[in-house]
Amino acid sequence: MPEKKVKGVTIVETFAEAFPMVGTRVIITAPTAEWAMISARTMTGFATSVIACGAEGGVERALTKFETPDGRPGVAVLLFTMDVNMLQTQLRNRVGQCVLTSPGSACYAGLEGEKKLKLGASLRFFGDGWQMSKVIGGRRYWRIPVMGGEFVCEDKTGLTTKAVGGGNLLVVGKSHKAVLAACTRAVKAMADLPDVITPFPGGIVRSGSKVGSKYAGQIASTNHAYAPGLKWHADSELPSTTEAVLEIVIDGLTADAIHEAMHAGIHAIAKGGSRDGITHITAGNYGGNLGPHHFHLKEIAG
Amino acid sequence: MSALSFELKRRPTQRLDLSPLVPSRLDGLNRKKIEALSVSTTRETITVGDVFKVKGKDAQCLHFAGTDDRCDKIGARLTGGEIVVDGDAGMLLGAQMKRGKITVHGSAGVSVGASMSGGEISVRRDVGDQVGGVAFGETFGMKGGFISIGGDAGLLVGERLRRGLIVVDGKAGDYAGGRMVAGTIVLRGGAGRYAGYGNRRGSLILADKPRHLMPTYVDSGVMEFDFLRLLETWLREQGMRIRLGGRARRLMGDMAVLGKGEMLILE
Repeated sequence: MPEKKVKGVTIVETFAEAFPMVGTRVIITAPTAEWAMISARTMTGFATSVIACGAEGGVERALTKFETPDGRPGVAVLLFTMDVNMLQTQLRNRVGQCVLTSPGSACYAGLEGEKKLKLGASLRFFGDGWQMSKVIGGRRYWRIPVMGGEFVCEDKTGLTTKAVGGGNLLVVGKSHKAVLAACTRAVKAMADLPDVITPFPGGIVRSGSKVGSKYAGQIASTNHAYAPGLKWHADSELPSTTEAVLEIVIDGLTADAIHEAMHAGIHAIAKGGSRDGITHITAGNYGGNLGPHHFHLKEIAG
Repeated sequence: MSALSFELKRRPTQRLDLSPLVPSRLDGLNRKKIEALSVSTTRETITVGDVFKVKGKDAQCLHFAGTDDRCDKIGARLTGGEIVVDGDAGMLLGAQMKRGKITVHGSAGVSVGASMSGGEISVRRDVGDQVGGVAFGETFGMKGGFISIGGDAGLLVGERLRRGLIVVDGKAGDYAGGRMVAGTIVLRGGAGRYAGYGNRRGSLILADKPRHLMPTYVDSGVMEFDFLRLLETWLREQGMRIRLGGRARRLMGDMAVLGKGEMLILE
């Protein structure tokens, strides 16, 4: 098999198989940048995988007071699910429980989108009749009286059905320390890019999964082919030198955004070269029959 | 293409109904046909050609020059395009308009933007009573859009206002926000007596506490209002030099009616 190497790190000739998702963006603002981030992190805290969280979400980036609708510091948050109804439910629950409740917060639409999701349009009922609507510049906002003052929330936000979930990179190396350092670099590089998030803890997954299990009712189980402790098994995909594999999962509002993020990620991982202890960069797929988006690593590494 | 312009030749002998002079009516008409349009309001017929010197071509951008307080209904029922008035305007300027933009460099008469549902009206100097009020035959006042007044306003600013925003830079007369249903009025130069009379759920934002406060308004104290920041940002985007800040004293009323309205007195 022809191999491509970046600074001595082998880019395995394979592809990341990704799926269509629906996604949205909201802007959370607060009196300070710190409180905006607390609110955003809380809203996207339990949002690593649709397998059991209902949604995948994360902080896209922090916004300065010059970039937000109300002139306060803010955070752009992305949220993804497999269908529109679930996205609506998750958005309502997460903004309702985590942003509405956060001191001094406000929540605004972050995407125009082809279709709309209710934001304040459903949360306004918390106002118990005391809520007020204000239309400013053609956009409707709800003012909901709360103990901390007033929660301002835009009526609707947009959604996109062209979002993509499950772009990924598997980083294979000679030590856990090396792999973790390389993945941390990659997540940082991706954090600067627009329209993408890495939903797992700190952007990194230590327990990549495969579909199904030997146990009935268990819909996902450990990706044993990449578990270094099972290298003896015939299923193993790992070279004998491997001590650890970590994965970075990327969700994006567009396929292009994921492409860009994977490109930045590959080069950040390979930055130190093979001497840093990284041997391979590969990706997860299901044979190519399940997901319509295939991100070929060799092509992306460019 | 140069703006289609109407220069008033002399003070008309009667009030003029200029509502036919809107882009949707003028588009495709040649100068002769435009000059033949009637703008009279009495049995004595007056045509556009009798009182105006007509120049230019672009019907999407109308320009009135030398107009006075007898030029009524400029831009009434406007559905798009832009009208600039170098002079004064009479009553019902932009009444029932839906879209588009009207700028008056002088003053305007009563009922500016009456029952309008969208678009923007900017009057640089004073306006008469009932700005954003109720047009004849309507039950509500302004239903959307934006009116900004550079000078003073008369009685009943935003009477029966339903939706939309009115900003008055100068002084407002008595009964500002009178009987308003909803919507927002910003009064930067103070209000007369009975401000917010009969206000149901509208917001009356005042730079200073009015000298005469209705007893049917109940003080809720000072607090932060994030929506004031949204409003300030938007107004600045419109080119207005304004500072609302985020803090205000909130008085709820008018308790004689629904009582869900508010008077916000900026700190």
